[in-house]
Amino acid sequence: MKQIIGYIRKDQWSPYVAGSLLGLVAVLIAVVSTVFRDPSIALGASGAFESILGGLTQLVSPDWIAKNLYFKAVRLPGLTWEVVMLFGIFVGGALGAISSRTWKLRWMPDKQWAEAFGQSRVTRWVLVFLGAILLEYGAGMAGGCTSGLAIWGGLQLAPAAFVFMGGMFATGILTALLVYRRRY
Amino acid sequence: MSVAQIIIALVLGIGFGFALQKAGLTQYHKIVNVFRFTDLAVLKFMMTALIVAMAGLFSLNGLGLIDLPVPPQTHIVGNLLGGLVFGVGMSLVGI
Repeated sequence: MKQIIGYIRKDQWSPYVAGSLLGLVAVLIAVVSTVFRDPSIALGASGAFESILGGLTQLVSPDWIAKNLYFKAVRLPGLTWEVVMLFGIFVGGALGAISSRTWKLRWMPDKQWAEAFGQSRVTRWVLVFLGAILLEYGAGMAGGCTSGLAIWGGLQLAPAAFVFMGGMFATGILTALLVYRRRY
Repeated sequence: MSVAQIIIALVLGIGFGFALQKAGLTQYHKIVNVFRFTDLAVLKFMMTALIVAMAGLFSLNGLGLIDLPVPPQTHIVGNLLGGLVFGVGMSLVGI
């Protein structure tokens, strides 16, 4: 027991242990989905941002949302399962850092970022903003992100998951090549 | 959404976030290094999650205890283009 608590408090787990925990969460989500008879209960993260934005827009102009095909057919606006789970992901990440006593507020990511892009905070924030737009737009186009499409789709061997992962790695490697050049 | 569903979603989300943080995937270098093939933690994490989830899901489904979830739809052009755009963002800023 003491060893287990000691392992939980470690700063970094083996990716195999952490991955098993996510696998367990995915199975539990499938169980919950069956219990509530609700197929919209699924693993995912990127769709939550769209639902939040749709919900906020609904407050201002409900007509526009009612007529919008995306919010009718693809993703529901407002407080959905994914929105609550996204909030849980933030809390869980913070708890993970607190449990290993490494939680702190930082302006900049790790050392490797500074080596690649320099020390500027402005560069970091502008790039993160632009990068996040690409992520969310790409995920919206593909129908999910690494969790919602690659993992939730991949575990049922949906072709969509593997097509998405292929695309993701192709440009991911290319971008890393451009950023790191000789140090790749 | 009922209160029960909200609580369950929160708990499962916390499990998800905890796993991500403990695998180090909240850090820039962990994400970008998988594209440089110097640290494969992202792949190890994802593939382990897939294997564990597949084993659990299909065992429970075989026992008739749960329904299989609806798989994401495959639209090859959309999935591929989305993945291509997604990869740039992911590799650039590591999220």
